[in-house]
Amino acid sequence: MSEDQIMSGASEAAQRQVRVQLTSQQEDIALPESTGPILVPTGLRRYALSTLVNNLLSSEKPIPFEFLINGTFLRTSIDEYLIDNGISAETTLEIEYVRALIPPLHIASFQHDDWVSSTDVLSTTSPAASWASGATVKKGQERLLSGSYDGLLRIWNMSSETIATSPAATEGGHTASIKATKFVSPNQIASAGLDRTVRLWKYTEDEGGFAGKIAPQLELYGHKSGIESLSVHAKSNRLLTGSSDHTVGFWSTKKADAPAAPESLLPSSARNSKRRKLNSSVSTAQRGPLSLLSGHTAPVSAAIFDAKDATVGYSASWDHSLRTWDLVTGGLVDTRTTSHSLLSLEHLPELNLLAAGTAARHITLIDPRASATTVAAMTLRGHTNAVVSLARDPHSTYGLISGSHDGTCRIWDIRSTKTDKEGVIGESVYSITRKSLEEEGKADSKRVGGEGVKVFSVCWDKTIGIVSAGEDKRIQINRGEGVLSSKA
Amino acid sequence: MNPKAASKKRKAITRDVEEEAGVFSGDELSQDNLDGALSDNANELSESEDESDDSDFEVVDDFSDSEDGEEELDSDEIPSDTEEDRKPAPGEPNVRIVKDANGNDRYLYDEIHPDDNSEYSEADENANTIGDIPLKFYDEYPHIGYDINGKKIMRPAKGEALDALLDSIEIPKGWTGLTDPATGKPLELSQDELELIRKVQMNEVPSDGYDPYEPLVEWFSSQKEIMPLSAAPEPKRRFVPSKHEQKRVMKLVKAIREGRILPYKAPEEKDEKEEEIINYDLWADEAERPDHVMHIPAPKLPPPGYEESYHPPAEYLPDSKERKEWEQMDPEDREKDFLPNDFGSLRRVPGYESFVQEKFERCLDLYLAPRVRRSKLNIDPESLLPKLPSPEELKPFPTACATVFRGHKGRVRSVAVDPTGIWLATGGDDGTVRVWELLTGRQLWSAKLSDEDAINVVRWRPGKDAVILAAASGDDIFLAVPPIVDPEIEKASLEILDAGWGFAASKPAPSASEEGKKNNPPTWIRPSSTLLDAGVCVVIPLKYVPKSISWHRRGDYFVTVCSGASTPASVAISIHTVSKHLTQFPFRRRLKGGGPPQTAHFHPSKPILFVANQRSIRAYDLSRQLLVKILQPGARWISSFDIHPTSSSASGGDNIIVGSYDRRLLWHDLDLSQRPYKTLRYHRKAIRAVKFHPSGRYPLFADASDDGSLQIFHGSVTGDMLSNATIVPLKVLKGHKITGELGVLDIDWHPREAWCVSAGADGTCRLWM
Repeated sequence: MSEDQIMSGASEAAQRQVRVQLTSQQEDIALPESTGPILVPTGLRRYALSTLVNNLLSSEKPIPFEFLINGTFLRTSIDEYLIDNGISAETTLEIEYVRALIPPLHIASFQHDDWVSSTDVLSTTSPAASWASGATVKKGQERLLSGSYDGLLRIWNMSSETIATSPAATEGGHTASIKATKFVSPNQIASAGLDRTVRLWKYTEDEGGFAGKIAPQLELYGHKSGIESLSVHAKSNRLLTGSSDHTVGFWSTKKADAPAAPESLLPSSARNSKRRKLNSSVSTAQRGPLSLLSGHTAPVSAAIFDAKDATVGYSASWDHSLRTWDLVTGGLVDTRTTSHSLLSLEHLPELNLLAAGTAARHITLIDPRASATTVAAMTLRGHTNAVVSLARDPHSTYGLISGSHDGTCRIWDIRSTKTDKEGVIGESVYSITRKSLEEEGKADSKRVGGEGVKVFSVCWDKTIGIVSAGEDKRIQINRGEGVLSSKA
Repeated sequence: MNPKAASKKRKAITRDVEEEAGVFSGDELSQDNLDGALSDNANELSESEDESDDSDFEVVDDFSDSEDGEEELDSDEIPSDTEEDRKPAPGEPNVRIVKDANGNDRYLYDEIHPDDNSEYSEADENANTIGDIPLKFYDEYPHIGYDINGKKIMRPAKGEALDALLDSIEIPKGWTGLTDPATGKPLELSQDELELIRKVQMNEVPSDGYDPYEPLVEWFSSQKEIMPLSAAPEPKRRFVPSKHEQKRVMKLVKAIREGRILPYKAPEEKDEKEEEIINYDLWADEAERPDHVMHIPAPKLPPPGYEESYHPPAEYLPDSKERKEWEQMDPEDREKDFLPNDFGSLRRVPGYESFVQEKFERCLDLYLAPRVRRSKLNIDPESLLPKLPSPEELKPFPTACATVFRGHKGRVRSVAVDPTGIWLATGGDDGTVRVWELLTGRQLWSAKLSDEDAINVVRWRPGKDAVILAAASGDDIFLAVPPIVDPEIEKASLEILDAGWGFAASKPAPSASEEGKKNNPPTWIRPSSTLLDAGVCVVIPLKYVPKSISWHRRGDYFVTVCSGASTPASVAISIHTVSKHLTQFPFRRRLKGGGPPQTAHFHPSKPILFVANQRSIRAYDLSRQLLVKILQPGARWISSFDIHPTSSSASGGDNIIVGSYDRRLLWHDLDLSQRPYKTLRYHRKAIRAVKFHPSGRYPLFADASDDGSLQIFHGSVTGDMLSNATIVPLKVLKGHKITGELGVLDIDWHPREAWCVSAGADGTCRLWM
């Protein structure tokens, strides 16, 4: 066991020292095996420790690190940490270091005509591109998709130009607000909204990439109330929707696979009042669901595919329950009941956890496996209003981003936790506020109920960064400066 | 015998002789002897003085006293005798009379030694010694006389010659003709120096800027200054005795002499008078008593420590932080009632600042001290309070504003969450009915029902089979199907509303006699085409303004109340049947007592209609057409009431909450009494609306008040007949602005969640979760 004495200065030599064992779970930045416990002055802070690790790694380009002690990010000096937690300086501290997440900076905001309810990205690293069979996404040709309350889909390039807009209601577009939209593949888009339909669109782009066309491809009928969420699994051509009519819809994107649409739900069969003049001039193929999974007793707010196994679906509902579905048979596998209405859902496959945002302003991490004993593995607290959108961190299996009606997106690292009387509590690493609020010069002012700045959707892509859409009629892009370069 | 002893002996003798001489003999003799004796024994006297006894001294004293000052003077001047020859005493003539050879007196004058003080100065060596002769005698000579040494004094150059000489020499400016001894060069004086010299010559103060004629400052004047220049007390020499006082004193002196005033009165007389005032010494008969429960001896105080010192050591002095902490502490919590203070010296110690206060408190203690032994009940006041669960345990309940619904112009009068819990309907002063997405606050549908009249109330039809919204505006009630639902439900809803048209048509037309009657039931009509397009299906034209709508649980009936004072009693309350498009007026006569009806609700499970007028609530059995119960909440003007949703099913009796304009929220248990079981007065202003949570899942209820706040209560009802309802105030929700004296006008609960929605006079609705 070798002991390196780090004397960073004559003044600090007199300070207390503590033995630390630096570990990392990532192979590429792990210290060699021979590195034993190191004696460091307790006055060190994150930056000094980061420099130390970089020295030990003798990396050419310094990598900023964050340090986790007992599941908490080191935000003070070691000395203060020891005092706060009542740890003796004679014990060996187990310090885990991870790459630091650089605070995400605002890159751009794209202005819409109406509230933006959902957003998705198309880039080389986005799921849609990875599923792409024919067309591939070129680097630098990233696209943003936004669905708005005015019923239109918009495709944006990264220089805030609208490349394509979906047709209006009279030409085969949505007749009400869009609530969810996703890229199925680089040239197919799925969207769903308050008009109870899921629509599939063909997206074509001209050579230069400056103009495109969104053409209706398929209309899927089946839900009896507004559709709140949409999830895509392109490999198996399946869609999963969650609707306010308490059902989870399971759909096929292939016209041939899909059964016929139920007659009673087609708009033409509605009351013969003359105000139903929105009959579309374009006739699009209409199809029904593969199955409607019923079991929830309240509006289903989110339905997602298992990230590893596309035959498993999860749904979260206002009835406080999270249900696991076997999509092959359409059977209900498991029900986990929490104590709050669930409004959003995301799967963290490596950790076997489901993150669910609640109306009670927090995020619950639920282990859906049958072996799990407790319902909620962890609670992430910090939002001040309902958490309506969740997305995985593309860089880390522990990372998570949430969008909330309080007008902020928060980045969470589920390693950064502490144990409370209510269980394991996590705290957010960063909070992204809406740029629109800052531009109004009211960045500090607190909006009651997130009025005007509610975030409805958040999406995190490796290439583009964090894309969030909200009530301020914008999609906002934030990116952690340097995250890309350090990961390239 | 050694010489010392001998001299001693002699001395003693001489003394004795002297004494005798002093008494008996003449002055000269004694003087001579004495002179010699004293001078001889001068050395020994000092030695012998130690040995000699007191009587010796007394003798000497006596002697010296009896002698004149002459002798003393002589003896004093003995050492200076020799000097007296040379130097006369000042003032004495400096002449001695000596006998010359002829025997005549010769006056010998003392040589004058002019010292520094002398007015005589040494003669100038160059002075002219020619004496008192006219100078013109020397006109012919080049000299003008002789000095004391006989040298000629040459005549100084005359003016003309001098002028001629001076003219011939060019004198530099400031030339003095002198040599500066320091430099050896010709001394030249500047203008300033010359001026200085001039001033010296003119007997002026040589320094610059001195004004000899400055106005006199009268430092010492007759006026008495507040701050005198000198702190010295007035000298006694300035004292001018008062003649008047002198007279008075003399009078007193005279009186004393004559015996009219006795300066020392006999003290006995005073005592007799003072005996009338008796001063008690409380502790005079204080005796040590053994320890007893009823006798608690005063605690023995520890001796004062360093802290109490006026000049404590530095470590006892509080620093600024400790001082601040002490000052901020409540006086009762302080460990010591003083702070160590360094005054430096005792004379700097100020008077005790809280002297009066402390005295007052001591007196108060004495005054308030019980004179009777009182047996005190030792009960923990906490234990007397009912055991209420803490709000933390009663979660969930709404705690924060989650969504603000903004869009209405003017007040929002009514708010209702639809049975599925997805939508929110609101109606306001701007005549519009709006439907919103509950969670996001997005407006989905809006219909302007009236241009002039406000929407007084909106209520969804219960049941999930159809979506029908009833709204009251002006004299009319509108039944609408908002175009936000899917075709199947929309169709079902329309069918429900349309079914009655045929029934109404098949109904026999009212006869002429009935038509003339005042309370002719209104016929339901189709709305105008614009309203039809907006989604309104049926309009019920009442002739009076309905202020409240309440649906029956099954969704086929609803009751409306026209609470206006001018409304005839027979048409104030109407029950509408949707399936038959039928409006009935169940009450012919005015309810006895309590003013016009205010609001009405159907019982959630039984066929009972509750009708509230201003002061009472009556329950009517609709099937038997009987008055079942009269409740007297004791409020002056009931604004709203609500019936517990699980009434009569879970528990034995009905529970009703009543809100009143006189700020009271009353909980009635119908089985208990017709008086309220509990009265809650937490609002500052009128309560506008009260509502139970509609699902049995959460035992919550809320009220809305004109003070802009909502209050959330926990009110659980148990099936046990013996236990009463538990009512716990949970949360005050603030956020609505008070606009025109009105705060929150209506309130509704989400059908499943512990979320509530409020309608504010500020034009917003708020979702609280």
